[in-house]
Amino acid sequence: MDNRGPRAGEPVVVAKGVTKTYGRTRALAGVDLEVRAGEVLGLVGHNGAGKSTLMRVLAGLEACDEGAVLVHGKEVSGAAGPRAEDFRAVRMAYQETSLCPDLTVAENIWVSSRHCLPRLGWRRAASDAVRRRLDEMFPGHGVTPRDRVEDLSLAQRQMVEITRASLVDRLDLLILDEPTESLGPDAARSLYDYVRTLTAAGTAVLLISHRIREVLSVADRVAVLRDGAVTAERFAEGLGEQDVLTLMGAHVAVPSEQDRAAARAAGDAADRPVVAELRGATGPGLREVSLRVGAGEVVGLAGLAGQGQQEVLERLWHPVRRDTTVVGTRAYVPGDRQRSGVLPLWSVAENLIVTAMRGLARQGLRRPAEERAAVGDWVERLAIRGGADAGITELSGGNQQKVIVARAFASTAELVLLDDPFRGVDVHTKTDLYALIRQEAAQGRSVVWYSSENAEMAHCDRVYVFRAGRVVAELVGEEISEERIIAVSFAESDGEQSNE
Amino acid sequence: MNIRTIVSRPWIWGFAAAVLVWAIIMAISGQGGGQTVSLALSLAPYLVVVGLGQMLVITAGPGNIDVSVAPIISLAGFVSVGVAGSTGSATVGILAGIGVGVLVAVISTVAILGLSVPPIIATLAAGLVASSVTLSLANGFTAVPDPGLRQLLNVRPAGIPILAVAVAALTGLVILLLRRTVYGRSLIAVGQNRRAAERAGIPVARVIATTYLVSGALAGLTGALLAAYIAPSADLGTRYLLDSVAVVVIGGTLISGGRAVPVGVWGAGLFFILLDGLVNLVGWSTAAQNLLKGGLVLFVLFLAGGGDRAGGTASRFRRRPRTAAATTTTTGDNTHG
Amino acid sequence: MSELLASALPSRARMRRTAPAVVSAVALAVMITVCASLQSDVLSVGGLTLVLSATVPLVIAAQAQMALMSVGDIDLGIGNFVGLVTVVSATTLVTSPLLGALTLIGLVAAYAVLGALIHLRRVPSLIATLGASFVWLGLGLFILPTPGGSTPEWLASLGSWQPAGFPAPLLPILVVALVVYLLTSRSALGVRMRGLGSNPVALQRAGLRPLTSRVIAYTVAGALGVLSGLMLASQTGGGDVSSASSYTLMTVAAVILGGGSFFGGSAVPWGVAIGGVTLGLVSVVLSLLDVQSNMQSAVQGVIVLAVLAGRVVVGKVLR
Repeated sequence: MDNRGPRAGEPVVVAKGVTKTYGRTRALAGVDLEVRAGEVLGLVGHNGAGKSTLMRVLAGLEACDEGAVLVHGKEVSGAAGPRAEDFRAVRMAYQETSLCPDLTVAENIWVSSRHCLPRLGWRRAASDAVRRRLDEMFPGHGVTPRDRVEDLSLAQRQMVEITRASLVDRLDLLILDEPTESLGPDAARSLYDYVRTLTAAGTAVLLISHRIREVLSVADRVAVLRDGAVTAERFAEGLGEQDVLTLMGAHVAVPSEQDRAAARAAGDAADRPVVAELRGATGPGLREVSLRVGAGEVVGLAGLAGQGQQEVLERLWHPVRRDTTVVGTRAYVPGDRQRSGVLPLWSVAENLIVTAMRGLARQGLRRPAEERAAVGDWVERLAIRGGADAGITELSGGNQQKVIVARAFASTAELVLLDDPFRGVDVHTKTDLYALIRQEAAQGRSVVWYSSENAEMAHCDRVYVFRAGRVVAELVGEEISEERIIAVSFAESDGEQSNE
Repeated sequence: MNIRTIVSRPWIWGFAAAVLVWAIIMAISGQGGGQTVSLALSLAPYLVVVGLGQMLVITAGPGNIDVSVAPIISLAGFVSVGVAGSTGSATVGILAGIGVGVLVAVISTVAILGLSVPPIIATLAAGLVASSVTLSLANGFTAVPDPGLRQLLNVRPAGIPILAVAVAALTGLVILLLRRTVYGRSLIAVGQNRRAAERAGIPVARVIATTYLVSGALAGLTGALLAAYIAPSADLGTRYLLDSVAVVVIGGTLISGGRAVPVGVWGAGLFFILLDGLVNLVGWSTAAQNLLKGGLVLFVLFLAGGGDRAGGTASRFRRRPRTAAATTTTTGDNTHG
Repeated sequence: MSELLASALPSRARMRRTAPAVVSAVALAVMITVCASLQSDVLSVGGLTLVLSATVPLVIAAQAQMALMSVGDIDLGIGNFVGLVTVVSATTLVTSPLLGALTLIGLVAAYAVLGALIHLRRVPSLIATLGASFVWLGLGLFILPTPGGSTPEWLASLGSWQPAGFPAPLLPILVVALVVYLLTSRSALGVRMRGLGSNPVALQRAGLRPLTSRVIAYTVAGALGVLSGLMLASQTGGGDVSSASSYTLMTVAAVILGGGSFFGGSAVPWGVAIGGVTLGLVSVVLSLLDVQSNMQSAVQGVIVLAVLAGRVVVGKVLR
């Protein structure tokens, strides 16, 4: 499988005025983008800017509503929907991987590259090809073609996924979606080395990553996606991280001076009653974690994603082990609202009250009047658009998230656990919800808040920073800042990043 | 009544089909229709009671089904008649029948929750145990059903059996249970999205356990009443396995869970009983009965479809192949407001 | 070098996967030992033939069940389906072999159509196959209202074939397991089936239609169901639609015993063969132990639950 690309500089895939709407949400609002042979194009944008939708359209997985996608100047994506053969030379490595966990590595290669494997002896051919390419891309990978994907580490799966995408008889465009998210620095370096050999052979590479420094060091050009449209296209050379952030419209909700004051006041009261405590908790994903949550305190769990923060939330949600003490009732705000938040057949009101219903009920019987009053309060307080009687799935993502947050706070729970709930939520909603958290804490509620956005941690009284299942720093009050958290998160060797 | 109303009220289909079959029976037999209705109303309640239990189980979400109802009915029949015979009290007999149903359901529940056995296997195994006990009991069984209870079950003032009224009241209770109680709401939440329900603080295990126990109790009640009405036998409950699932499916309850339609169980139950009457009237064999029922279930199932959740206006994500649910990142990004 | 080492030493993950089959194999050995201690001629060729012959149709039906479970579905109609096949082979196949053969092929096609409808209408396989099981029952009763008929001569002679030197039932068990192994674990078709059970999204992205995978699995299951019915008929010499009704639970249990999963993605034909024989021997042991026939189904139910419980324990230890 060699890669014969087209001549350098010639456009490989072009998007012209592409739009895409899901329900009431406009994911793409007229995207114009050109990926040229032999270049690395970096694509950056906030969550919800439309990156994943654009990638799906460019990879031929979804048809666009308006506009056109051209592969080698030929229009291939009209209203009729994309055809697989037109996109055969466009390959994509997914962030969450596109592998079957129960199949072996070689079998997964067959699934995605079967048209360039022989009918007989495909297993051997696929094994040879994947082994060769893995050696080439990630020396020292430790993967054999006979391994089942589910037995591989996260980093190894990512390697196999990228290799899978690259194994094809003709590769014109390789789309890499957050390829280094779970790779160690060495693997990332060798991946980008390979990307350069690919581009030298004329293949185009579209790199999507939120690690802007990485994008700037690898890409030739950078395109900024914002609110479903490409708002800027620049040459990477001479561009700084700050410039890109400005282009992306980085807007971080800064806590007001009042909040700061409240946080300071809270930070002083170290001797307030303890609501929840972990004492040297050790187990899957956790090593010797000790932390304490006081009444009325907002405690942040920070650090890179997947360093043990969610395991702490899990311990607090199900305090079954002896090293965990939780006094009083708890409520949980999940981050992945599609999977573990929304009850899709119900209205806003029903979704909102389902937790509080238990506390309001008498002898197992609901009290509709009280429930209605509570729902009315919360719908108004958080300005949930659509009102109480709208179906939950008719709401936008931000409003759905408001309902899920309100569900937890409408209950009488003394401890509220937040599992990175504000990912991909718009700025206005976020600001409302930050204020809500501070108000509720002022009334004596405790909040444990895991967030992947370090800026959010500024709203906390105290922050524990996690790395590799350990608490590596405890920041209080004034010490909490984005820079500080990043510094501590990355402190020691960067090599620990690769999970598992 | 326009088409939208019919689509949004899925229980109408069962009643419509029942009326259709009733009309055919009248046309063929030429007898008064009232008698047919009265007979159907005295037979349907048994099916409705066990169907209500099955409906609660299916509402608990994908994979939930209770296949132990058939052996429970047979077993409860023997136990209740035996106990009623030895104590002389029909009430104690009925309670014993319900108790036996709960007991069998306890086995299933422990297996489902304690051993993480899928419900289908757990209830099948519990049912096997129950049918063994039934066979042992059936050997040399001599007690006869309580004549007082049998009379009561046959009382039909103005052509309407008392039992039908009682079961209608029970159906009303189930409706209230689903709408007005914490348990009912929790069950529906669990059926829609088990993970979300758990994160919303609902004790999922307790809700599921309660559901299977209630289903076992209702099957036990059915067995006790049925044995008094007909006579206890080892295959008293056999037909109720498919029938109970069928009346739930035809009644408009969502097979994938999260929406229960108790009234629909009545419509579908009447339809099934009348269909039996029609088949007997025409003189078809049990073979044809089985074919007709199996075919009907498949027809309604494939017609309604599983992923198609009627009533939802913004269900475009769920209208895609069910596989789309696994791509959380894409659906997540799509809905960002 | 590291690769050599990895393949030489079974990884923890591999042990976890094969543990259920190993547990069943141990149970099988115990069962045979118990049989042999109760009745010493069980270990002779004739004795093994007698003991194993009853398990052949069950094992083949279990392979059918496994084909469906590899895509994540469960078949609640396999028992009645096998019964229907015995009826067809004891009636139509005798009176007009061509029509009989066509009927059997039609039954396989019916399975394929059932699979397609289940996929296209997004209906739970559990309830659809439960409905289908009554269609099979009805058809069986329609053709042969009471057990009876007689199988074609060639089929009967197949059932009574007694080669010298090795127990005949072992042959179909091993051959079918081998064929199913080649099909589901080695071939591209098998990758499609397991891929559907494992991650349907990945299949779709790669341009493979999940519908095709599901139809393949149902066709394989239908064909194996027909084979199982023919084997059963060859042993009983007649047709009875309800002769295999216990297979529904037993096949699922055999797959689980062999290391399969309810969530799809894995194919364990050798484990299923071991699990099926183990389960089939349970009734032999029970009758040798003079357990009342009334209690046999209860004991089977309890054994299934016990084995599943054992699996939970083993899984926790190896995690």
